[in-house]
Amino acid sequence: MDFSIRAANVEDCKDIARMIVVSRHVRTYLEQDGFSKNPFFHGIIAEVPEQLRTKDGHTKVGYALYFYSYSSWAGRAIYMEDLYVMPEFRGKGIGKALMSKVAQLGLAAGCNQLNFTVLDWNKSSRDFYMSQGCCDVTTSMGYHCMRCEGEALQHLAQP
Amino acid sequence: MHFKIRPAKKEDCKEISRLIMELAVYENMPDQVKIAHEELERDGFGENPFFQCLVAEVPEEHKSKEGFTVVGYALYFYTYSTWKGRSIFLEDLYVMPEFRGNGIGKGLLCKVAEVGKKKECVRLQLSVLDWNTPSRDFYAAKGAQDLTVSEGWHAIRFDGPSLDNLAKEAAKI
Repeated sequence: MDFSIRAANVEDCKDIARMIVVSRHVRTYLEQDGFSKNPFFHGIIAEVPEQLRTKDGHTKVGYALYFYSYSSWAGRAIYMEDLYVMPEFRGKGIGKALMSKVAQLGLAAGCNQLNFTVLDWNKSSRDFYMSQGCCDVTTSMGYHCMRCEGEALQHLAQP
Repeated sequence: MHFKIRPAKKEDCKEISRLIMELAVYENMPDQVKIAHEELERDGFGENPFFQCLVAEVPEEHKSKEGFTVVGYALYFYTYSTWKGRSIFLEDLYVMPEFRGNGIGKGLLCKVAEVGKKKECVRLQLSVLDWNTPSRDFYAAKGAQDLTVSEGWHAIRFDGPSLDNLAKEAAKI
């Protein structure tokens, strides 16, 4: 299938929000958090030509959202927060192309790792990632992902 | 014990590098440390830093037996959740063993949370090794949830040859 991958711009937020399936309210945050002076994330979009658009008329059919991170052991790293392709466009290499592009961007920026998370029950995603040669550091090294939010975070943040 | 927590300066990178190695030794993975103070200086103190760092300092009269006054650090960076928005990731939190039990670790953690709050971050995330019970207990006591246990999240990584191979595929697009 013919498709292209390019950097996202602020006008793409409407389609990114559509694919994340979030409200218009959250779309506003995507615009200010991803496309102002010190963005919290970057995006890439997978687009198909007009003749392959969806029945609703969309040509933006996949995206990946990433940001730069750091390993105190390995140095610069890139973190892929989201990778998504609309169901009707799967199986055409678009997901792999998006992930490869994130890897390429990471290497170009001097990154030594590409990190992300996946749910243990998500077999199709896990199989896809493993087939690309990644390592599950939760299983192999015992890393657990921890989170503090809401009241617990408020409490911690009190001076 | 009197201590101060302040933002790290470029000149602190040699001390931070020393503490990073101590943490790696504690985690039984000293051979995994591939970067030194030069990379920290370049990556943390340039125009677009990849990370931020806080250090914990004690006065001269409380310096360590080797003469160090920088006795702990927290290294963090900003991240993003497409569902929840701005977040902060605590990459490292470490206090030298002889200075533990004085509230320095908690002080560093709270300061990172406070910095995050000022930037409107709604989450603070980190990872911890499954066998590291003292750390797991420390974070659980502060209200952290273990998402690997509760929701089944696994951390996945590409590095070295697997990262190179993946990136090569992008040239074919």
